[in-house]
Amino acid sequence: MNVSNETLPTAADTGAVPKSASYYGRPIVKPHVWKPYIAWYFWIGGAAGAASVECVCARMRGADALATVEKRAALAGVLVAPVLLIADLGVPSRFINMLRVFKLTSPMNLGSWILTAFGGAIGASTFAELLGWKRTSRALEVVAAGLGPALTVYTAVLVADTATPVWHEAGDTLPFVFAASGVASAGAVGVAFAPSQQNGSARRLMIGGAIGLLAAGAAMEKRLGPLLGEPYRTGTGGSFRATSGALSAAGIVVGLLGHKNRTASRLAATCVAAACVLERFAVSAAGKQSAQDPKYTIEPQRARLNARRDLDLESSG
Amino acid sequence: MSGLYDETAAEREMATHTQQESRKGFFTDTTLCIGCKACEVACKEWNQLPADGYAFTGNSYDNTGELNGSTWRHVAFVEQLRSGALAAPAAPPPQSPAQSQSQSQSQGAPTGGHQVVHPDAGRWLMESDVCKHCTHAACLDVCPTGALVRTEFGTVVVQQDVCNGCGYCVPACPFGVIDKRDYDGHAGKCTLCYDRLQDGETPACAKACPTESIQYGDVEELRTRADARLAKLQREGQYTDASLYLRDTGDGIGGAGAFFLLLDKPEVYGLPPDPFDTTRDLGRLWRHAGYAALALVGVTALAALGTRR
Ligand code: SF4
Ligand code: SF4
Ligand code: SF4
Repeated sequence: MNVSNETLPTAADTGAVPKSASYYGRPIVKPHVWKPYIAWYFWIGGAAGAASVECVCARMRGADALATVEKRAALAGVLVAPVLLIADLGVPSRFINMLRVFKLTSPMNLGSWILTAFGGAIGASTFAELLGWKRTSRALEVVAAGLGPALTVYTAVLVADTATPVWHEAGDTLPFVFAASGVASAGAVGVAFAPSQQNGSARRLMIGGAIGLLAAGAAMEKRLGPLLGEPYRTGTGGSFRATSGALSAAGIVVGLLGHKNRTASRLAATCVAAACVLERFAVSAAGKQSAQDPKYTIEPQRARLNARRDLDLESSG
Repeated sequence: MSGLYDETAAEREMATHTQQESRKGFFTDTTLCIGCKACEVACKEWNQLPADGYAFTGNSYDNTGELNGSTWRHVAFVEQLRSGALAAPAAPPPQSPAQSQSQSQSQGAPTGGHQVVHPDAGRWLMESDVCKHCTHAACLDVCPTGALVRTEFGTVVVQQDVCNGCGYCVPACPFGVIDKRDYDGHAGKCTLCYDRLQDGETPACAKACPTESIQYGDVEELRTRADARLAKLQREGQYTDASLYLRDTGDGIGGAGAFFLLLDKPEVYGLPPDPFDTTRDLGRLWRHAGYAALALVGVTALAALGTRR
């Protein structure tokens, strides 16, 4: 590992001391302290958001059974989501403090508002449906679908807006990973539960989403480069990611070959959904790994510093 | 950068400049630190924070390890020994510098005869670390409840009765300062002794420091003092490698309320070499999230096209 400082005089240059590259290898930034509830929430919230969009698309072309399946999935998602979020808090009784302010600089604050509005729309739409108010119910579905994509991608902004190296540096690609995961999961729900004469679009979404997940994941690793890509290739993060990739591939193959067979379709849907869950766990674990080893913090920062100094030297010389 | 960031930067400006009090902070001159840990103890005592247990790290005299939710001062110890400087009189068989160092240390004096300690055998680096009270504080920006606030002294403080323990501030801080505590579920960090400042008192750690390594005061004045100190050290030639860390208001966090004079690179003390407030990039992050959201809608609509099944 090379973090040497070429131009400034250092203690080592004066001949007095050997250089140490970090402070006893201890972390510089703190790893996140979220329990697995949060990785589950990222998946469930993301799937619910994408499901609301698929619900409206299905409704528009008259696939009502598929629309209802997606709507129920979104409702289930927003019922489970707060439970997961509250379970992770240090002081659960103060969950409502999330809505105490409206704060543009906090993706978690904005996300709480998005989740609340989305949950309200889906809940009210379901209620209107029960009362037989079809028009109101449909209108509220459209409102939810307007908020759904934000619900799916805001969590990517949330994690990228930290000092965790593999999250922050992947800020441009992470939303696509989360969006693909949401789309693939919503598709998988449709394939698994909607009647087969209506689930053609869900199948295309599931397979397209799974391909997108593989592609976005690869783009993210490429963007991170050899050093910062490491946490996605090694340790727990690496295992989660490899397993997720294998399940995506299996889901794509089985989904394509077995599309006439109900059991094969459900197997493919299970594979894809599991791949999406594991991708969220991979992101969580890789984030932790990249915070725990100081080299992931030091080396990119050193490189930036050196680049800036070279630029200064150029402009002054 | 982005409009969003400018807006919040303006907010911060207001927060730091329209206050009644002048901005307060620390200048920590590590050349004066003797590693006594009086600051650590004074902070624990004044703020009634629990002890850390009886763990030994094996890392020099540092058994505190890190700043966390209940440890708001941490003295770092770095032993920089010149290899072979502590040579035993009977020449040992040739071995790697690391080995000879650890052996001569562990064997100590009883190798027979006296030990020769070279006059420039090396040096100790000691640094009392603390929350930086950043001008652009990531912890404060990301806190979803508004529990983290900027005080009238320009410092950053957690309101314990508002914090719900969401933990977002923990990975956001570029220095790994703030942490969530197991025992009450809140986030905790240095308050710059907000309670003492309100009474016009000096923070407990600075008060306890016997060598004035921790200097408390108006940030503006401390900056002038730090510049003078650096110039003096460089003029005298003893510490030509000294540098000021986080004193520059043009850095990634807009300069710190608590800044340092260091003798080696920041990472040697466990500090990031080029820290930045993650919020700086928030506009770009949302923009890419926007593209991803559009892609989501586009793909879903496309999958539904031209089919009734
Ligand atoms: S050092 Fe960390 S905890 Fe302290 S103000 Fe800056 S961002 Fe917040
Ligand atoms: S843990 Fe507390 S202080 Fe930290 S971001 Fe959450 S609410 Fe704010
Ligand atoms: S200013 Fe007060 S709270 Fe902060 S480290 Fe010093 S004693 Fe502790």
